[in-house]
Parts: sequence; structure tokens; C-alpha cells
Amino acid sequence: MTELDPVRQEVIRNALIAGAEEMNASIWRTARSTVVRETLDYSTALFDGNGQAVAQSTRIPIHLNSMSVCLEDIIAGPIPITDWNEGDVILTNDPYAGGQHLSDFVAFKPIFSEGRRIAISAAIVHHVDVGGGAPGSYFAGATEIYQEGLRLPPTKLVEAGKTNDAVINIIRRNSREPDKIGGDVHAQMACLDVGAAAIGRIAGRYGAKILETAMAAILDQSEQAMKKVITDLPDGTYSFKDLVDDDGQQALHLDVATSVEISGDRCKVDLSESADQAPGPVNCTLNMSKSAAYCALLSIGDGAVMANSGAYRPIEVICRPGSIANCNSPAPVANRMATGHRIVTTVLGALATAAPERVPAAYYGVSYVLTLQAPDPLIPDESRVYFEVEVGGWGGHPEGDGANGFSCGFHNLANSPLEMCEVLFPMTFTEYGFIPGSGGEGQHRGGLGLAREWRLNSDWGKVSGSFERFRHGPYGLAGGKPGAPGRFLHITKDATVELPSKISGVQLVSGDRIRLETSGGGGWGDPERRTPQARANDERAGYV
Amino acid sequence: MIEKSVRIAVDIGGTFTDLQILDLASGAIHDFKSPSTPDDPSIGLINALTGAAQRFNFELGQIKMLLHGSTIATNAVLERKLPKGALITTEGFTDVLEIGRHMRHNVYSLKAEPRALLIPRERRFGVPERILADGSVETPLDLERIKVLGENLADDGVNAIAVMFLHAYRNPAHEQQAAEILSKISGLSVATSYEVSPEIREFERVSTTVLNALLKPVISGYLERVAERLKSAGVSAQLYLVQSNGGVASPAEAARLPVKLLLSGPAGGAMAMASFAQAHDIENMVGVDMGGTSSDVSVVLKGRVGETGEGAIDGLPVRLPMIEIRTIGAGGGSIAHTASNAMRVGPRSAGSMPGPASYQKGGTEPTVTDANLYLARIDPKAFLGGEMTLGKDAAETAIQSLAGELGISADHTAKGIVDVANTSMASAVRLSLFEKGADPSDFVLAPFGGAGGLHACAIAEELDIDRIIFPATASTLSARGILTSDLRHDLSFSELLLAGTGAIPTLQSIVTQLRDQAAALLDEDAVPPAQRRIMISVDCRYRGQAYEIMTPWPALSANNPVDQAAVAALVTKFHRLHKELYAHNAPEEPVEIVTVRASAIGLLDRPPEAPNTEQRSVVSESPERNRPISLRDGWHDTAVCHRSSIGTKQMSGPLLIEEDYSALLIETGWTIRALDDGSLMATRSLGDQT
Repeated sequence: MTELDPVRQEVIRNALIAGAEEMNASIWRTARSTVVRETLDYSTALFDGNGQAVAQSTRIPIHLNSMSVCLEDIIAGPIPITDWNEGDVILTNDPYAGGQHLSDFVAFKPIFSEGRRIAISAAIVHHVDVGGGAPGSYFAGATEIYQEGLRLPPTKLVEAGKTNDAVINIIRRNSREPDKIGGDVHAQMACLDVGAAAIGRIAGRYGAKILETAMAAILDQSEQAMKKVITDLPDGTYSFKDLVDDDGQQALHLDVATSVEISGDRCKVDLSESADQAPGPVNCTLNMSKSAAYCALLSIGDGAVMANSGAYRPIEVICRPGSIANCNSPAPVANRMATGHRIVTTVLGALATAAPERVPAAYYGVSYVLTLQAPDPLIPDESRVYFEVEVGGWGGHPEGDGANGFSCGFHNLANSPLEMCEVLFPMTFTEYGFIPGSGGEGQHRGGLGLAREWRLNSDWGKVSGSFERFRHGPYGLAGGKPGAPGRFLHITKDATVELPSKISGVQLVSGDRIRLETSGGGGWGDPERRTPQARANDERAGYV
Repeated sequence: MIEKSVRIAVDIGGTFTDLQILDLASGAIHDFKSPSTPDDPSIGLINALTGAAQRFNFELGQIKMLLHGSTIATNAVLERKLPKGALITTEGFTDVLEIGRHMRHNVYSLKAEPRALLIPRERRFGVPERILADGSVETPLDLERIKVLGENLADDGVNAIAVMFLHAYRNPAHEQQAAEILSKISGLSVATSYEVSPEIREFERVSTTVLNALLKPVISGYLERVAERLKSAGVSAQLYLVQSNGGVASPAEAARLPVKLLLSGPAGGAMAMASFAQAHDIENMVGVDMGGTSSDVSVVLKGRVGETGEGAIDGLPVRLPMIEIRTIGAGGGSIAHTASNAMRVGPRSAGSMPGPASYQKGGTEPTVTDANLYLARIDPKAFLGGEMTLGKDAAETAIQSLAGELGISADHTAKGIVDVANTSMASAVRLSLFEKGADPSDFVLAPFGGAGGLHACAIAEELDIDRIIFPATASTLSARGILTSDLRHDLSFSELLLAGTGAIPTLQSIVTQLRDQAAALLDEDAVPPAQRRIMISVDCRYRGQAYEIMTPWPALSANNPVDQAAVAALVTKFHRLHKELYAHNAPEEPVEIVTVRASAIGLLDRPPEAPNTEQRSVVSESPERNRPISLRDGWHDTAVCHRSSIGTKQMSGPLLIEEDYSALLIETGWTIRALDDGSLMATRSLGDQT
């Protein structure tokens, strides 16, 4: 058989997904830092030769839907696709050249067959520290990207098979965790070869031409599937507004205003009415905003659409430059997830009018990133950076209650085992559990937020937090109440201080406690309509 | 006639109870199969023993040892036939069990996927106590609180109690105190985390402990029933239970740690593979057990069956050393359907109810089994040993309807279903090997389970594998593996140490403690000194890594003391394993020790195996008949023979070999020959592929 049929197409589709999963396993196996190994903050994908994302591993929506827009920017700007040669690896972390924030390194490797570029393997990895004003590179006080750490424009890390060690040395030298970042960069590079081997296998078995045809067909399939999702929504323009608490500096109550226009099989998301870009690091580049909007629309499809560049084709995302959802250089962006999650919740909020039977109330809508720099308990005179990401409650759904303390929406991350943290870092946990009553009331209750509290055992420690939803709880829908907002507390011998949601370099001394409370999800439906059984259940379990 | 005593391995499945009977005098092995009795599997067990005794002419009193594999624990969890339980844990951490690792599988879904939870919040209790990471006590346990809690639970009829305190793997004092108080309260059955899974990482430990607590009453009850029935049938055999690690344990040990039985289902098959590999001098073998709804992949690498420190059942982590199995959602019942004009196969399965369309029990969608039937690879009259006649027309109708949707021929559709299933199984095998840093083409494929034999050649070709071994007695293979089991206890101790001279005293005391525990357990099993093996291994990692490599420590397994040379050897071994598994290492970097393990093994003597005469009773060396079968390259009049009729002659594909409970498809380009034990080895002549 030499032509493509529905069977061969499926066989190749499965093989491409398997290739992306092998890349994923490769990073997990070989990486060094806890942020990769336990928090699992990385993703992998295979692209066609023109830079269209075709198959992705099931990991983190923000990552997955951002790699293709990043690649588009690189090709359109600094490194045209004609300069991508056999044996090259292109690396960047520059938000203003297609990247996310400086911690996320994106790497691409073009794959050739008979001298022709037929595919590209890609991986995005969150690196534990890339320098900047705070450990973990979440510097709440940044007003320019220059304060956020090392910035690497799209660069050939490997050229014609030869690694540019100087780049790796520069990366190491700029990090508080040189060994970990060095190890993780190597893991990231190695996984690209795993992807290349998978492509080589498929091309070898079916021929490069068939592979290319199959990739084009897979993209078309996703396009058709997404068009169907859009067509099933009634035509119209739907608007929704939600708020970002603040930028961690002086700007408060920042609007994220979204208008979603459904017209036949096309969807246009306009974020232009959103607030001006903020002085603090809560800004999104247009690429991040696109990724957020794609994520929301893929969720409306409820997993029916294979996420790839084909799925993005019917979606147009626009925003006026200089806005919080399309910032201009050199605006800082480290905590872009504050706004990114809000773009997801506003697109969903807007579509709740179009598809009321499918859309839940708002989830916690923030990646609660906390870092601690403190002395190493095992090696004298050295310090280590602790990094964790927490989550909160899901919004109540037309069909049931929201999940308690579970990854949702734009990200998907694991927590760090308490006992391992206590062995590796000078900390003792005092609580990790649900916060009763934090879920928004409703016919279907919002899920509960989490409390995570620990005590510092060493002489000194520096804490940074990159949070949101302290002022404005996740919204309810159809008469449901909002979820409870979160809090960040510094508890000393003498006092309990409520810290702002975005802060870095909080000085701790031995015995101080830090408590993070994440927000619950919004409620769905009139609370009066909650069944007596559901209420009794809540009482018994102590969820309220 | 069997003269002296026999050892019997039994594998109780949903449909059949399989036996392998070892004549301890001659070394001859017989197999036997009879229907299971799912409501009380112990009835089917006695029936099978009685039937086998009649068939092979021995007395039930001659059974000296009974090695028992079953899915009783597995089914109890999957069907939630578990008692009401409670969890007592460190105050402030009662929700750890429910929070889990808070990652989702369905990335783009607006409705949260259900999370498995065995103990609801109202029955999880926090008590004041705290042990720190170094094992020191910060807050003593509130003993009075434990007593009151225990009494209240007993009054409420909640009898299965799990106790998990933070860092109990370092210092079990509080769990021991709590267990002592609770076990004095009438009716309570207690499981503590330091006994069940004494390792760092609280969620995995509490999950495993809760499973153990809830399974205790289930397994104890079953074991009592079995003991009673065996006794009244006149069986005085020593009974042992198969564990997920492939070893067996005494009933007392199984009743204490029933969670160790939880993933034992596929262990027998994997053990059988390991023994085949050894018998035939095969270093690397990958087993594919293809069942109705899913397939299990297991790996023998360098003569050793793959093990892992953690598995899961229904999303619930089980952290114990166990045989590593990758389960994928592709089996005979996987449903083919369309999505965006392309064909998909699975993950939905028709199961056994309604089953494939050809079962004619209400299923209308085509499955992999229907496709095999359409392609004439399955004889509709010979399915499941002739117990069920398949409806060829029903399969055809289902396939034609899908073909219409796809706009391709029915032939193409049926072959396509099989192709898609084969490639996804091949992908799973590749990923399983890839994770170990191994290359599929260095492996021999061993297919088993009802449907494995039909797909083996295609999967092998997909993976560039040139040899396939079709095991003898494939339909009782799991029991065959169980027959090779030894007694095994796994012990562990977690303490984070930098691997170096400074760690020697601590390591020595940990190893001594583990050896003492191991010796005590083997004493309980009355294992004579010459039959004992205590294997020491250490979970190591580079500093900063979050997961460990189980590193064998041969010097310590040989009972040497911990000294500088031994630690250096361990570190060197770790660097080498890291390179093998992960393709790189960093010999200059510090190595961390996380957990020290001891496996206490009591070898069960086996006589040398006698040649299997039953399998080699040659009926005829020529194919019995021909029928048109759709092969890789279209329909061909193909030779069909029964497995019992294959002699010592080499035969070449295309060829369909039928067995009582399955069939083997030998494609063009493959040649088979029988091995001494009745297994068939298929080899591929290169240059004769697709």
C-alpha cells in the first residue's frame, strides 16, 4: 500500500502520539530537579516539517498549546525555517520571541529524511531557577523583564550536530541551581532525539511522503473536529469580565475582558477591552493569551478534539498591543499565569451563555507557585531552592459538585510529597488539607481549596509567592456563589501577618510558619436547590 | 499413576480454575482445567483438585504443597466489596488520602474525572502526635484519644482500621502504640503503615495501608473457608498464596499483609516467562498477555523479570515491590469505531457482556475478535474450546456497517481493526522496553492469553523482533509460572543518607536489622538454612533527583559486612545502572541512599523437570486441512492444523495452528519448530517481510 487510508492514518496517528509519550518518558527518566521529576512541569510534542504541532503528550495545556505559536514566531523572525538544518537544536526562553516566561525553555529539533525536513520534535521544560531577583525566578518586584533572569533569544544550541557548550555554561552560570539546570537541559535535549527516532521509524516503515500526508490529514481532522465544536454553539457575540487582583505592586483590580464571537464554524476571541499592561509581572504576551484561549475552547470540546495546530485554525485570538493580554517589551511576565488562567475563565464564562448545560463555574484559576531558599540540611554552607505548585477547588458543574483540591484548567501539576520535602529542606509541615466552607455555595457546590502550612527549622529562609484570587474569589454561575478567596500568612512568635498574593524575599527565621490557603471553586445554580442529601453529606464529611 | 507426593499450583480465574500438577518423584508436570465458581472460589478449587486427582490417579492426601494464585483481593477492590474502614493519622493531615497527587488524566475536560477514595472524610481521624523527619518525637501520641476513637469505631461497627503517621517509616513507635491499644479493643482489625509499606512518601504509604486494612477481613475470611474445605476434602497440603512480587507467602502472612496479593494476577504469567527464558537460554523476553478487555506486557531483561516498587489498582497507588506489568486497553473485545473520518480501536471494550457482535448477546459494534473471525483466523465453532459458537454473520454485519462509515471495503476494515490493535500493542511494548533503555529487536516475544497467538507475528514485525516463543500449555500458563515460585518476603527501611564512608555505621545497623527481620520470617516459615537467600538492594539516586533506582548489592547479599569497599561497589553499580537506564551518568556527583531493601527468599525444592510427553504425542506431521484465511497480504488457502499434531518437523508459514483455547497465526516468512518442553519457537527469515 502506498496511499493513505483511514487505517494507515490511524496507525500513524497512534505512532506519533506514542513518539511524543516516549519523549515524555525520556525527560522524566533523565531530569534532575524536583520541578520536573515530582511536579512534572514539562511537555513534549511532534510537529510537521512546516512547524505545525501534530501530536502531543498528555500533560500541561499551557505548554502544549504554546509551543506551536512559539515556533511560528521563531520562523517568522530570527531563524527562518530554511535555516533549520540537519543536526540543529534551537532553544529559547524569550517571551518576546515566542516563549512563555523565562523559566520555561522551549527546544526544537528539525528531523530530516533524504535531505528533506519532514518533522520537528519539541519539548518545553520549566527550569528550577534561571536567575533574576528571587529564588525560583518569580520576582514579584520586577518592573522589567531584565530583572527576571537570563533571557535567551532563539539560539542554535546544537548546530550540525555540534553542541555549543558556551550556551550551557552561560545558563549554568546564571542559575542558583547550576547542576540541576544543567542536568535538565541535557534531559530536554536527549528527548528531542527520542522524538527523531520515532519519526525515523515511521518514515522508514511507511515512507516520508505517507507520513507527511498523514500529518496533514491529522491536522485537518482536528480542524474539522474543532469546527464542529464551534458550529454546535449558537452564533452570537458573548462577553465576560473577570478580575486579576493586582500586579503585586500598585495596580489593583485589573480587568480581563473577553468577547467571544461565534460565527458558523469560526470563533474570534477579542481581549482588547482588558486592562493596560501592568508595571508588575502579571502580563501575558499575545502567544500566552492564544494558548489560554485554545485551552478553553479545547475544554468546551471535552476531549473530543485532538489538540494540535489544526484545532487552532478556526480560532482567531486578537488583543490590542499594550494590554495585559498582549504586553509590549520589556514588561515583566514571570507571573503571567495570574492573567492566563483568567483568560481561560473569561472565555469559559462567555461561553456559559452559549452552552449553559456544559460550562461549570470558575475554578481556582491560578498556579500557586511558592519557593523557599534555605540552608541545605545535609550539606553545610550550601542552600537549596524548594519549589511547589498548589491547586484549589473546581467550580460546581451543571451536573454535579466541583472537585476538591485538584488540578484544573490551564495547568496540571502534582504536589510535592511532604515527607520528602521535610527530609530535603529545613521545614516541618503543620497542615495539609481541605478548607471547609471554601467551596462556593450552589445547587452544585464548588470544590474546596487547600491549606498547606509549614514551619521553618533553619536560621534563615527566603520565601516567594506567586498567587492570585486573594481579592476576587472564583465566580459562581446560574445563581451559585463565588468560591472563597485564598490567603498567604506569615505566622511569627508574636503576630500573624497577612502577606500579599505576589511577593518575593520574605525573610523568615527559625520557628516562623508560612500558611497558604488556596481558593475554592465557584458554586453552580441556586443554593436553595441543593438537595437535602447533598447537604447532609457535606455536614457529615465536614466539607462545609 | 503418581507414586508419591505432588505439588499443585492453582490459578483461579473468572472462568476457569487452572492447575499444574508436579509429580515430585518423577518431575513430570500435568495440567488440568475446570470451571471456576466465582461466588465462592474455594468450591471450584476443591472441584478442580478432585477432578485432577481422578484424572491423574492420585489421592488428595498425596498433595504435599498447594500454591494458590487468585484475583480475590483484586476483585474485592475493583468491585468495592470491602468492609467499612477508618483511618487514624497525624492531626492536620487527614485529607492527604483524598488529595493524592492532584494531577488529572483528562486534560481537556470541564467535568472532573472521578477519584478513587476508599475512606470518606467522616471516617478519617487526626490525632495529636508528630514524629520529625529524623525520627525524633516532637509531639507524643495522645494515647487516650486513640482509645476513645477505637471504642467509638467499634461501637459504630467500623472494624477495619488503618493507622498512618508521618515519618513512621523512620520511627514506628507511635504506630506501634496505637496498634497495641486498638488491638485490645474487641472486633477491631488494624493495619499500620510501618508494617505494610515502611517507605518515605506519605500518600503512597497511606494508600497502601488503607488497602491492606480493608482487605484483611476479606482475605482472612477466604483463607478460613479454604482451610475448612481443604480439611474436609482430606487435603493436608501446606498452603501458600501467590503475591504480586511473584513469590508465595504463608496463609498467616497473607492474612497479615493481604495487599501483597493485590496485583498477583499477572504475576504467574510473568514468572512462567522468566522460567521459559531460563530454560531456553533466552536473555531478553517480552510477554504479551492479550485478554478480552486489556493486554498485559511484562519484561524479562538479562534473565530477570522486571520489578517495580509501585503499582496501582483503579487509580489507587500500591507501593510494594512487585512484578512490573504495563496494562493497555487493547484486547479481543476492544471496539472499533469512527472519529473524524478515521478508524479508532478502543479504549472502549465490549467486555464479555454484551461482548463482541459475534457473541450475539446484544453487541452490535465490531471488535477485534469480530475482525479475526471475519478474516477466518478464528474458527467460529472452535472458540473457547468449543464452548461457544460465534456468529459469523453478526460479525460481518458489524464490520460492514463500519466499512460503510469509513468508505472502504469490509475486508479492508477488518484487517484495519487488527492492524490498529497490533500497532497500539507494539507501541506499548516499545514504551515498556524504552523505559528500561532496551531495544525491542534484542527480545524474544512471548504471546499468551486467549488472543495473543493471532497477533504475535504482526506485533513482532512491527518491533523488528525475529523470534517468538509460543509457550506450551499457554492456557494454564499462569499456573505454570506459579509452580516455579519460592517463598518471598520483602522488607525495607527508608533513611536518607549520602552514600559514603560516613554512612557505614547507619547502613550496617539498617542491614543487620533487616537481616534479623528476614531471618525471623523465614524461621516462621520453617525454611532450612540451606534453602535461605537474603538479597539486599538499595534505592539510590543522584542528589537532587526525586526518584530512585533499585540497585542490587551483591556483596551484602553474600552476607558481607558494610565497609568502604562494599559502599564503593554499590555506588559504582548505581552509576552503571543509571547509564544503562538513562543513557547518561555523573560519576563525580554525590549519590543519595533513600531506602534499603531485603528480600527474604525460601527456596522450594523442585525435582529436575521431566520431558513433557503429553505435548509431544505426535498424531500427524502433516497439516490436517486447508481453509481460506486472510493473511497480511490477502486471502490465501492456508494450512490449518491442531497444535497436538505438530511433530518435531520444522514448518513454515503461512499456517494457522489451533489450540483448545486459542489459535496461533504463523505469517509468511516465519518458520516454527517444537522445543523440548512442547513450546513452539517461530523465527523470521530476514528479507522476507512486508
